[in-house]
Amino acid sequence: MGAEDNVPLDDKAKRMRDLLSSFYAPDPSTNNAPSNPGTLDAINTSSFDADQYMNLLIQKSNLDELLQRHVEMAAEIKNIDTDLQMLVYENYSKFISATDAIKRMKSDIVGMEANMEQLLDKIMSVQSKSDGVNTSLFEKRENIEKLHRTRNLLRKVQFIYDLPTRLGKCIESEAYVDAVKFYTGALPIFKAYGDSSFQDCKQASEEAISIIVKKLQGKLFSDSESIQARTEAAVLLKQLDFPVDSLQVKLLEKLEQSLGDLQLKTDDIENASMESNDPKLGKVPDSVHITAHEGSIRGFAEAISAYRVIFPDSEGHLIKLAQDLVVKHFETVEQCVKGRFSCANLLVVLRTIWTDVLLMDEVLSEAVLPGFSLEAAQNALKQHVASTFNYLLHDISDALLRLNVSSKEAAEENPLQVALEASKKALLQGSMDVLLDFRQLLDDDLGLLVQLRDFVSDWVQEGFQDFFRALYDRFFLLSGRKSSSSQDQGLTAGAHGEKVLAGLVLVLSQLSVFIEQTAIPRITEEIAASFPGGGARVYENGPAFVPGVMCRIFRSAGERLLHHYINMRTQKVSTLLRKRFTTPNWVKHKEPREVHMFVDLFLQELKETTSEVKQILPQGLERKHRRSDSNGSTASSRSNQLRDDKTNRSNTHKARSQLLETHLAKLFKQKVEIFTKVERTQESVVTTAVKLCLKSLQEFVRLQTFNRSGFQQIQLDIQFLRTPLKETVEDEAAVDFLLDEVIVAASERCLDPIPLEPPILDRLIQAKLAKWKEKNPITP
Amino acid sequence: MQGGSSGIGYGLKYQARCISDVKADTDHTSFITGTLSLREENEVHLIRLSSGGTELICEGLFSHPNEIWDLASCPFDQRIFSTVFSTGESYGAAIWQIPELYGQLNSPQLERIASLDAHVGKINCVLWWPSGRHDKLISIDDENLFLWALDCSKKAAQVQSKQSSGMLHYLSGGAWDPHDINAVATTCESSVQFWDLRTMKKTNAIEHAHIHNANYDMKKNHILVTAEDESGIHIWDTRKPKSPIQELPGHTHWTWAVTCNPEYDGLILSAGTDSTVNLWMAPTSVEDEAITESIAESPAQQADPLLNSYSDYEDSVYGLAWSSREPWIFASLSYDGRVVVESIKPFLSRK
Repeated sequence: MGAEDNVPLDDKAKRMRDLLSSFYAPDPSTNNAPSNPGTLDAINTSSFDADQYMNLLIQKSNLDELLQRHVEMAAEIKNIDTDLQMLVYENYSKFISATDAIKRMKSDIVGMEANMEQLLDKIMSVQSKSDGVNTSLFEKRENIEKLHRTRNLLRKVQFIYDLPTRLGKCIESEAYVDAVKFYTGALPIFKAYGDSSFQDCKQASEEAISIIVKKLQGKLFSDSESIQARTEAAVLLKQLDFPVDSLQVKLLEKLEQSLGDLQLKTDDIENASMESNDPKLGKVPDSVHITAHEGSIRGFAEAISAYRVIFPDSEGHLIKLAQDLVVKHFETVEQCVKGRFSCANLLVVLRTIWTDVLLMDEVLSEAVLPGFSLEAAQNALKQHVASTFNYLLHDISDALLRLNVSSKEAAEENPLQVALEASKKALLQGSMDVLLDFRQLLDDDLGLLVQLRDFVSDWVQEGFQDFFRALYDRFFLLSGRKSSSSQDQGLTAGAHGEKVLAGLVLVLSQLSVFIEQTAIPRITEEIAASFPGGGARVYENGPAFVPGVMCRIFRSAGERLLHHYINMRTQKVSTLLRKRFTTPNWVKHKEPREVHMFVDLFLQELKETTSEVKQILPQGLERKHRRSDSNGSTASSRSNQLRDDKTNRSNTHKARSQLLETHLAKLFKQKVEIFTKVERTQESVVTTAVKLCLKSLQEFVRLQTFNRSGFQQIQLDIQFLRTPLKETVEDEAAVDFLLDEVIVAASERCLDPIPLEPPILDRLIQAKLAKWKEKNPITP
Repeated sequence: MQGGSSGIGYGLKYQARCISDVKADTDHTSFITGTLSLREENEVHLIRLSSGGTELICEGLFSHPNEIWDLASCPFDQRIFSTVFSTGESYGAAIWQIPELYGQLNSPQLERIASLDAHVGKINCVLWWPSGRHDKLISIDDENLFLWALDCSKKAAQVQSKQSSGMLHYLSGGAWDPHDINAVATTCESSVQFWDLRTMKKTNAIEHAHIHNANYDMKKNHILVTAEDESGIHIWDTRKPKSPIQELPGHTHWTWAVTCNPEYDGLILSAGTDSTVNLWMAPTSVEDEAITESIAESPAQQADPLLNSYSDYEDSVYGLAWSSREPWIFASLSYDGRVVVESIKPFLSRK
């Protein structure tokens, strides 16, 4: 029930409020929500149509409902009437109370204006009185102020007149600080009136001040004073407007001069190195020199720290000075490094420099001297590595070039062997020494070097790499086979100017092999053992020293040089043969009387080659074996047979059929490999040379046309060559074949190929042999 | 005798030294070659490569009075060629015309158009201007250089000018610059000399010993290739005679002849007395730096300039000729009288 009551009560209150508000609202239409007039709820809207409402109600409801509705509505209307009445009463009472309040206010305000006017009058009178007092006191106040100013002035004048004596007192008591303070205080006055009223005074005080300045300068320059005192002096001088800068410059100049004494002298270092070479004497003067040096550096460091305190702005200059010193140090080092300079000496020098640097760094850390010197040391070391390898290169080429000299003197028995051994030793020993030397650098615990350790081992490896490359180039330069045109023309020309010895080329070739097989592995081993790790940066581009590549380069170099050697040797013979074949008129040749002398020359040349080769190259291992083998082989006997055949056939003038026969013979005979691979043995090299010479001989013969005598001459010469050649040569079959070929070629190119009768041939050969024996009794 | 060779063979009866491409024959790939036999009757063979390229056909066989030391086909008339010949005691040179009797192989006579008979000593070679029609000829003997005016219709050749090579310069051969009608290079024992034909004066020289043979690059101006006894093949820029721009190893024994390919840049063919013919590819960047670098670099990194070595010969190879019609074909002639025609097509793809 309560709830039932509540709802209509709420409805009621709500509607009342709505009604009230609609009453006060300026536009009632807006307030009413437009609702459908067709519903029963639309009773509160403005568009309420009573008829329609009634119709709707009657239609929708039955009688009961209508009655109920009627009762409800009557009650509602009654309610609303009471509400309206109450509202009107309320409003009315409020209005009445407001009218009362207004009435009261109006009566209160009357009478306030009079009070205000009274106040204004009083204030005006106070003001006029204060003005009177002010004017009467003004004069007196001005007077007092004037008097006060005069007094101040007088005091100042008194001070200035007293200044000289006061300064004198200060000088006596060395209270320079006060003196300077007084003087600077008086200075503006002196400036204004110094020329007129205070002339004497000014002069006197200036004199005093100049004394002070002198004293201060003395203090500043005297090393015995404490740094504090000197700093003070500097500051005071600055206050006195004394040109401190020039002083600073002067001082720094002095410092710079002393720097000159500090420099490591090249002579000293050289002396040191000389002395250290002589271990007995070396130690003492060395250390004496070093301690002396250290003392002076210490002095220098102290001076620096002093100056830094004295002249705060001189830092840049000092840094420059210190860096200059380091630079000069390293310049000296580089100077030394250019010469032959062992690592031990370098170490001594570097150590000295490093202690210097550390000392200076203590007082002048802004100069970043360690970093700076690290860089410089890096350069110096790099240079050192480079120059060391350069000297090594020189040593080796010297050892090689000695061959040129010694062979001219012909003093030694086996110049090639000596040269080879010497250069081998120079190379290996030199490399080992270099490694050992650099090892010292690595082992040293000097701060400077510790940081560079990785770099050093890199550089050494790189150095070896470059060294071998340079050596390779040098070899080809020495061999006269300048393969490049744009290389240093001068050197190339020089090497070309003097004739290159064939022997030298052979030595170079052999040395290349030695490098490939012994030196590089040894060095690699040594590097691996003593330069562990290598550098940090190396592995980007692979290790600096690549023994594999170097081995390959030198292997090919060895081969090329060997070929070059053979070429040089055969070239000589070739020239000989060219002369032999182009000079005479072969068509009008006279009957052969003796073996031509070119054979002698040829054999001579061959002997020379053999002797050179014997000095250096190893003997072929299978020599014996192969020889017996080929002796018994059918090929060799067949070729002999063939030769006989050929000689017989050529008797019958059938050159044409002979050609055919040679072809046929070639078909059936196993093809004689003339140009086989050269092996690095005495026999192989000589054989190759002989083969090439004989081939040239054949080619020269083919270019000529012979008469019968010319042909016979060739036949005789070749026949004579047969025996000595076989003795020197490994591959008899090939040589035999080539000799035959020469005769065949001659017969082909002969207008009338009738060979010499064997008895005559024999006799002529015997005669030559006899002569030969006579000339060189030793040789078989 | 064929062996495993890919080449097409053709046998001459006798030994022979020289072969020449018949440049004027634009319809066929043909070569002309002549024998060198002191005591037999010598022959000139006109050989044609069959259309299938599988066979060499003898197109003409002509007897030639003496052994032939040099032979060159006229570059503008396929029926004309020149020979240098020797009787054993004396030398002669002549211009010949092949009679129009194609098909009949019964040794018809060659018609001698002119004899170049002003020579005294040993004649080395006769040169035609390689680039086209030109009525001049050059013949070189041991000591002199002759310039001939040739008139084919009148069948006459006249000496136009003559120049002695100078003392102690025994000429051995020469090459006519295909780019300059007035420039000729001659080889002698110690140098290559360059001549201006208008003045007949020496203009330049490359001092280099033992040059056997020289050949101008047909495509590139100023490039001369020479073959030497010892160090093989050199490529020169004639403007820079001090040093070669490139060096190739050459042959085991003498390098006898070199020729540049008329079409493909940098392809060089060389023949040697070691019975091989080598095909080279000179790197196109023939600058000086390339050479210096090649020293610095390890040999493995260098490309091998040798493309192929044809070694299927029984004797020294003296004759060598590219076909100008089919520039991937060359003919080689070994001393035993075998002509071998090879195609280099398999190696062209590598370029």
